[in-house]
Amino acid sequence: MRAERKGNMRERRMKSYLDLVPISARRRKRQSRMTRLCIVLAVFLVASIFSMADMEIQSQIRRTQMDDGDWHVMFAGPDEEQISLIESRPEVQTSARYAALNYGLDRGYEIGGKETVICGFDENFDEIMEQASIEDGHFPEGTAEAAVTQSMKRQLGVDVGDPIVLMTPEGEGIEFTVSGFSGDTSMLTSSDAFGIFVNTETYETYFADDTRGEDFALYVKFVPFCNIQKTVDDICGQTGISREAVSENTMLLTLIFQTSNTTMMQLYWAAGILSVLVAAAGILMISGSMNSNVSQRTRFFGMLRCLGADRKQIRRFVRREALSWCKSAVPAGLILSMAAVWGLCALLRYLSPMYFSTMPVFGISLPGVVFGALVGIVTVMIAAHSPAKNASKVSPLTAVSGNAGTTHAVKKAANTRHLHVETSLGIHHASGSKKNFVLMTCSFAFSIILFLSFSPAIDFMNHAVRPLQPSAADLTVSSGDGAGSLPKDLAASIEQIGSVQRVYGRSYMYGFTASVGGETIPVQLISYEKYQFDWVRDDLMEGSLEEAENGDGVLAVYYMNEGDFQTGETFELTAGDRTETVRVSGILSESLFNIQDQSAALICSESLFEELTGESGYAVIDVQFDSDVTDQDVEEIRALAGDGASVSDNRMENAENRGAYYSFALFLYGFLAVITLISVFNIINSIAMSVSGRIREYGAMRAIGMTSRQMVRMVSAEAVTYVIWGIVIGCAAGLALNYKIYDLLISIRWGDPWEFPAVELAVILAAMALSAAAAVAGPAKRIREMSVADTISAL
Amino acid sequence: MEILKVSHLSKTYGSGEAKVEALKDVSFSLEKGEFAAVVGESGSGKSTLLNCIGGLDTPTSGSVWMDGRDLFAMSENKRTVFRRQNIGFVFQSFQLVEELNVEQNIIFPLLLDYQKPDPKRVDEILEVLGLKERRHHLPGQLSGGQQQRVAIGRALIMRPALVLADEPTGNLDSKNSQDVMDLLMKASRHYQQTILMITHNEALTANVDRVLRVRDGVLKDLGGVRA
Repeated sequence: MRAERKGNMRERRMKSYLDLVPISARRRKRQSRMTRLCIVLAVFLVASIFSMADMEIQSQIRRTQMDDGDWHVMFAGPDEEQISLIESRPEVQTSARYAALNYGLDRGYEIGGKETVICGFDENFDEIMEQASIEDGHFPEGTAEAAVTQSMKRQLGVDVGDPIVLMTPEGEGIEFTVSGFSGDTSMLTSSDAFGIFVNTETYETYFADDTRGEDFALYVKFVPFCNIQKTVDDICGQTGISREAVSENTMLLTLIFQTSNTTMMQLYWAAGILSVLVAAAGILMISGSMNSNVSQRTRFFGMLRCLGADRKQIRRFVRREALSWCKSAVPAGLILSMAAVWGLCALLRYLSPMYFSTMPVFGISLPGVVFGALVGIVTVMIAAHSPAKNASKVSPLTAVSGNAGTTHAVKKAANTRHLHVETSLGIHHASGSKKNFVLMTCSFAFSIILFLSFSPAIDFMNHAVRPLQPSAADLTVSSGDGAGSLPKDLAASIEQIGSVQRVYGRSYMYGFTASVGGETIPVQLISYEKYQFDWVRDDLMEGSLEEAENGDGVLAVYYMNEGDFQTGETFELTAGDRTETVRVSGILSESLFNIQDQSAALICSESLFEELTGESGYAVIDVQFDSDVTDQDVEEIRALAGDGASVSDNRMENAENRGAYYSFALFLYGFLAVITLISVFNIINSIAMSVSGRIREYGAMRAIGMTSRQMVRMVSAEAVTYVIWGIVIGCAAGLALNYKIYDLLISIRWGDPWEFPAVELAVILAAMALSAAAAVAGPAKRIREMSVADTISAL
Repeated sequence: MEILKVSHLSKTYGSGEAKVEALKDVSFSLEKGEFAAVVGESGSGKSTLLNCIGGLDTPTSGSVWMDGRDLFAMSENKRTVFRRQNIGFVFQSFQLVEELNVEQNIIFPLLLDYQKPDPKRVDEILEVLGLKERRHHLPGQLSGGQQQRVAIGRALIMRPALVLADEPTGNLDSKNSQDVMDLLMKASRHYQQTILMITHNEALTANVDRVLRVRDGVLKDLGGVRA
């Protein structure tokens, strides 16, 4: 009672005709539900895209700062005067000198028999290069101390205060005391190498003479909001350092939109265009829904016109109404997007915990929320433009003529000669008004066009960011001499470790020659075991994999040369004075691993390899781990392999590759899902709206004897007409665009010919067909439950 | 004082064989405070006449002068504002805004004209309509007669030069019809309100000042019926 009085008080204070908007919105909630849902969906999609992009950028910035450093530019080979000029500039926040030696691991500087990278830098270098920070101990002081990588601590068992000896290529030993430890890099672990860090003074003393001029560098971090490109130009002009001697931390500069790298900026442009496309789809969807809403209320608008509302007032009324829906729909869309983003972040962290460790779990992206809300409101305002115009065009006569709700001026009668009357009427409902028909079919076609235009991006991703091969190893144990000196028992022992998922070894033998087609060609022989044979199964061009697996022949890798191998042929394989006759059991299109240049590769079973070469060991043992692998497990394998073997740890590198692929894939597939979702929603919404607009007409039809089954057939015919024409137009334009974009993105770069996008087409067409079925289901239920008496009494 | 002057008004729909002459050279005028009724069979052209006088429909030829101003010499937008300020409508099917209560429905034309409602005037109208107790009721909570009274209140609130009533009792029973007629009569006498009413029920014309008959688009002035 009190609430009612309060409500009445609020209503009594009506001061403008626009106050009718919130009152009307409260009472017509059901009628505007679809439109509000459309707004929620549009805001949800835009906010999710922006939030995800923001999360990704923030995470990448943090990751880049951790991996590549928090510096902006690096000046190679500056002299002391240039350094002091740079450091004195107000734009420079932090700068540090840095020099490195043996970065290519080929100069012969070794500790404990392993190639060692030597780095010298200022103490404040860790402010811009997190990897250089000392985790245990302190920064090396004087010329007798050095910090070393954690891997050295694990492998050589050294601790702070222990002496280490760095062997120079000349065979001299320089002794340092370990002052502390720093983290490993993926480059060092995968190359099975060490790193040693000294201060600038020590570096000058021992290694300056051996270091090339350009390997001395000054790393610079600028103050926030500084125009980096302009400042660097100024510095180059002032100091005389050439622009070529300046390197950028491209990734970081790209992420803060300060790069000079045009390729990356083009990617941002692409992302911007995609958002515009989503917004366009959103506008179409909301506009369609609002138009239907307006067309159902022509009598109301006619009455307002009768009472003296001018066109401008009606337009303002409809726009205000649209804005009032935003009040609840925008926050709802934003909340949904936050939940979705949290879910996606959790998914990424689950898929690649190492790579996405910097991604927040319950982060809220302010730019995402702001853009989502802003784009949502702007989209609604743009979408409201056409309905507002339509509403303002309603004649005041509509209110007095009694013809409200039947404003579609039908010019041509339905053709009932060839089809059942209900089917004919359904088709006629769809195609009766040309403008409506074109709008509806185009909005359906737009989804197909968007989907087909965007799908080549998946192929682009598969080329540009290669997914990790199933055969990619997390850890590779190689025999020091390159020969098959790793015993097979070692593979068995490694397999016993708990976190090891898969172990697979292979052997190589170079120096063979084969006589094929009258020519003698150099050949390398490689042995595979079960897993590796399984992985090449899809690469088999002809012949039998099983024969090779059983030791009855070899698989030749497609060689593209005159003297190529033929399936079934036998040839002579010669090594030194030994010659064996071998049969080709099949041809592979490619090999799992790199093949030595200028030689053909033959793959055989381990038993045949042993028979042909007399070697029983492996040259390489690859290991794949479960996700619960620890550094201790790696050390255990290192211990098992012994000193003679080299162990390269690829886990970090793999995690980086996998992470990059996942985030790219998530973005692309997410976008395709969004397009599909818009399409589904648009179809369901449009049909529901169309039925609502004709519900009185349907009531009259029911009254004169049309069964509910016939009514459903009529609605289905209408839906199918829109969908079929949408598909025809969408496929015609979409396939042409697909071809063109594929050509631009892939064919020009990698030469792959365009293929008919059958899968993509099947997915979007299936989504449209299912949506059409779902779109009919709702109205069908409504028609079945419709009270004929109530509906026609409103006529 | 002449409020309405209709001069040589014609309205034709379609062309060729489908040509329909809804109004043929109609001329008449109304004085201030006059209550006139237009009677005629269904399809005789009386609604077309009302729509043209109200500026809702455009005549094929002729003119409509209201308060000394030619309605169809104005732009569409100016005509809308003129209608808002000078013509009140009462429809057969009430046409109230379902979401607004009685009082809000009545003041709605004022709000469209960016005017601040005068509470005294609103109270007075509600009193005359006999709806003071129901001012916060929604249309759905009122009887047909009450709804039509609200519509009359809405038509009167702007103190228009002319009220056009299109079959105002068409959806009402005899008791409510009489109430509505009494109310229109009261407005005419009490506020000197000029009213033009369309009806097919000739019994309702007993007390009006003038009766105009339309037959096949031709208007005939039957003169005053009031004693």
